[in-house]
Amino acid sequence: MINARDLPIKKILIGLVLFFALIFPILFGAQLYYLTVLILILIFIIYSSAWNFLTFSGQGSLGHAAFFGLGGYFCSLLVMKAGIPPLLTLPIGGLFTGVIGVLIGLTCVRLREWFLAMVTFGFAIIIQTLIVSQLAPITNGWDGFGVTKLVPSDFPNSLLIEYYLIFAISVITLLLFRYLLKSKIGLTLAAIRENELEAKASGINPIPFKLFSFGVSAFFAGVAGALEIFHFGYITPEIFGVDISFWPIIYTITGGLGTLAGPVIGTIVISLLWEGLNSFGLTYMRFVIIGILLILTIIFLPGGLVSIGGKLSKYWNKSPDSDKK
Amino acid sequence: MRNEFKSILFLTALIIVAVIISGCTSQQSPQGTTQTVNNTIKIGVIASMSGPASTTGKDIWQSAQLAADEINSQGGVYLKDIGKKALIQLVLGDDESTREGGQKAVSKLITQDKVDLLVGGFSSAVVSAHQAIVADNKIPYIIAGASSTQVSKRKDIDNTYLFYHRPNTDNSAEASLLFLNDTVRPAINSKFGFPDSRPLRVAVVYQDSPFGKGQLDAVNNLTKKLNLPIVVVANASFKMGESDFRTTLTSVKSQNPDVIYAVTFLNELIPLTQQAIRDVGLKTLILSIENNDDPDYYKGVGQVADYSVMESRFSPYAIPNTSTKERTTKFLSDFDTKYQGFAGMMGAATYESVYIAKNAIENAGSTDKVKVKDALSSGSVDQLLETMKDGKIIFSPDTHESKFDLFVSQMRMDNKTNEIRPHIVWPVSLQETSFVLPDWYAPGTT
Amino acid sequence: MEGIITIISQVVFWGLYAGCIYILLATGLNLIFGVMKIVNFAHGEFLMLGTYITFSFFVLSGFNPYVLLCASLPILVVVGIITERLCFRPILGTGKLNEIFVSLGIIYVFQNVVAMLWTDEWKTIQSPYKDITISWGSVQVPLDYFIIIGITICILIGLYLFLHRTSLGRAIRATSQNRKGAMLMGINVEQMDMLTFGIGAGLAGAAGTLWAVSGQVFNPYMGSIPAIKGFAIIIIGGLGSIAGAIVGGLIIGLAENFTSFTLGGAWKDAVSFIILIIVLIVKPTGLFGGKDE
Repeated sequence: MINARDLPIKKILIGLVLFFALIFPILFGAQLYYLTVLILILIFIIYSSAWNFLTFSGQGSLGHAAFFGLGGYFCSLLVMKAGIPPLLTLPIGGLFTGVIGVLIGLTCVRLREWFLAMVTFGFAIIIQTLIVSQLAPITNGWDGFGVTKLVPSDFPNSLLIEYYLIFAISVITLLLFRYLLKSKIGLTLAAIRENELEAKASGINPIPFKLFSFGVSAFFAGVAGALEIFHFGYITPEIFGVDISFWPIIYTITGGLGTLAGPVIGTIVISLLWEGLNSFGLTYMRFVIIGILLILTIIFLPGGLVSIGGKLSKYWNKSPDSDKK
Repeated sequence: MRNEFKSILFLTALIIVAVIISGCTSQQSPQGTTQTVNNTIKIGVIASMSGPASTTGKDIWQSAQLAADEINSQGGVYLKDIGKKALIQLVLGDDESTREGGQKAVSKLITQDKVDLLVGGFSSAVVSAHQAIVADNKIPYIIAGASSTQVSKRKDIDNTYLFYHRPNTDNSAEASLLFLNDTVRPAINSKFGFPDSRPLRVAVVYQDSPFGKGQLDAVNNLTKKLNLPIVVVANASFKMGESDFRTTLTSVKSQNPDVIYAVTFLNELIPLTQQAIRDVGLKTLILSIENNDDPDYYKGVGQVADYSVMESRFSPYAIPNTSTKERTTKFLSDFDTKYQGFAGMMGAATYESVYIAKNAIENAGSTDKVKVKDALSSGSVDQLLETMKDGKIIFSPDTHESKFDLFVSQMRMDNKTNEIRPHIVWPVSLQETSFVLPDWYAPGTT
Repeated sequence: MEGIITIISQVVFWGLYAGCIYILLATGLNLIFGVMKIVNFAHGEFLMLGTYITFSFFVLSGFNPYVLLCASLPILVVVGIITERLCFRPILGTGKLNEIFVSLGIIYVFQNVVAMLWTDEWKTIQSPYKDITISWGSVQVPLDYFIIIGITICILIGLYLFLHRTSLGRAIRATSQNRKGAMLMGINVEQMDMLTFGIGAGLAGAAGTLWAVSGQVFNPYMGSIPAIKGFAIIIIGGLGSIAGAIVGGLIIGLAENFTSFTLGGAWKDAVSFIILIIVLIVKPTGLFGGKDE
């Protein structure tokens, strides 16, 4: 009823958030600490969104670090061995991880959720083992190697430029996901997710679509991994760690599984909460709090943080009605 | 649409609250204030307070506090440019044992806490991910861990502000090899009547990590480079944190080694030793290395470790009889009084790092980072706890690594405590008792 | 030649022993899956808790650690029941992915609560029989491993008897076969869920005691990998099939040991997943799996 008035408000708010992200460094100063935290948040927004995209097709992964790390390694090797500038390697590295993603997806599409989770988890371990053993002559094994940074650090304000670059990449990524989800593909994916049998009955072959979402998800996870390494300036096999696989899950679920805004909100809120708890001197307690938060979210707020507003407004809208009666 | 609007409003509020929470404690130092010359020197300590390396992290942080308290109780550090003493204030940075955590901790220490100097750092992977930030921001950083030579020999970053107070994998492998060559090999040859030319058969069992791989490479390279009569008859890797070595050891046994060179952490050494001697029935000598010697090992390993040898630089029970003995004994007892426990190798190195920092700042006469860096690269400090080469802590001009005098101790059963205790057998200058081959020892066949 | 046989027989024995721990984990996971149709990825945390309970009672009482099975098993049954009630019951039927994600939360909570209580230093205890060895073929093997294998067999037989000879066990099996049918027959399936989850956790706790007694070190983070392998085992063996779990456990235990013997220790964890993936490509329901699930 009040659509006409509210629609621009939503856009204005998104615009405001973007604007805030843009001027943040100017407001608070281009401080190393803020920028480091913000850059890592942006990278994990891309990564969590990529992970989330897979769940749009009803699949879930416990080993996305495989793609995150592969992207990191492939791009780093392109930069260091072939001399390609970091920024240009991102699409190539993404494509490479995307192809690997489709290949891994081929073994997974027929599998049930648990099998899928296991297989993806296993791939992260297998790829890490390959990197440190058979591929060690190229990857330098556990020692890793130094990588050119996204913006060379002798550049004036290099970190600030890096921040804006990564910011731009994450906005483009989110827009792409938005586009994909609004397109026919997105609708088909939703159909498969909701009921694969019915989707099949209406003439949809789910396999190419599932593979497609695997590929896209791996592509952006790879880009995020490469960005992290170009930010660190050094790559080690720790990039395949279990924690790297788990963080996007935690971020996305607390934010809101299966929504575009979920991974973004989740990453921001959990990262900042994490930093906040850290400054209170909580170490193990932080993990306990995050774990409890995750369980509570799944049980009591399956839609994640993005659904809170809706729930609250439902509550508010209801109570005046009941008063009238 | 209304719902969406409210939910966005709510989320914006949520994000703002989160920003405030995370910001409230880090905002202690107001923006834009120029650093006034006050009476504290801020030293950032990078330690893992959570995650797999947190045991070592606690050791690092506690030992740093011990050193700072000692210095402060004597009035602090004398600063020539203000003509009085300043107290040391330590700031903890928890790297969470992850690369991301390390980056955040280090950048927070640099910009929020505005530290004058950094000490600590343990895992090579974690250090490699935040090295560049420290180098870019030109903060002197005394690294007590990261033993991988890859980390200290990086060419792609400005190394001038990074200092490494630890032996790298090459140093420790060299000490082990020299010990094997000039003590173990002759002992075996003379006991079993082998010719002097018989090469020693070494099996390397190593952790699949920068530490383990580094040791294996160093052993292979150094035997060639030093032309030692040592052959590596087997090398077997295991995953970090492994506790089942039985198959690995069975395969090693089939190669008939004279010595097993175990490149492990302490938690892995306990099951490795037990399984080697008890389960697999190896009648051979186990030489372990640089594994952050800890009393838990002596309690946990039991009698099977009798006669095994360990290369070390700091041990709770084997204190080299040099100028450092008194200081080390005091350090251990002070640590015990304060924290009820033993200080480990990383703790000792961090304790020394704080003193190295104090010394450099006093020599520089100020906390000016360029001056402190210069003082660190040119200065030398008398050895404090760990025995150093020529008795001095000096950072080498090229890679800024200090040089340690490593020692090897042999475990012997102690009837009083009913636990094994180490006795230094090498080098000759520090020797307490001489190395003995156990009666049950059987050499590998040739 | 004789040397090779010795080596192989030894490796087989270590595989057998390693298989015991996996079988206990996998049997528990399988039982839970059969009844509740959920997968608990946090199962390894029960194993870890089992080692710590054994450790604490051992330090406090100095009892023979094998006796401490009587502590770790029942305590873990209770912990399992509480976990089921608080974390899994509310999300039953809300989607398979949720179960996986809830397990992640449980992993974080358990690991770090244990780290807060016991610190995260590596711990170890010693078996009272550690110096006794028995000859097995041409090799000397510590008595402990025979005891461990024996205890595992006893537990499995006990479980079999419980499931087949008691009314409670029959009720569990009925729920496992047909939940709705069981409900119609007046079985309180929610109670069966709690009970099964408790038994599963108890088996993991027993595995924890055996882990600790065999002289293996443990810390709060040690549970995840064995649990994931336990899960791989039930997939290889087929979900819901106890016999499959035993075969799968032995396959994994042996494969791991032969891999680290041939390819090196780095491949030890990876090999179970390679087997898993091959099995799933060939037969997406697992080797012994039924048609559905």
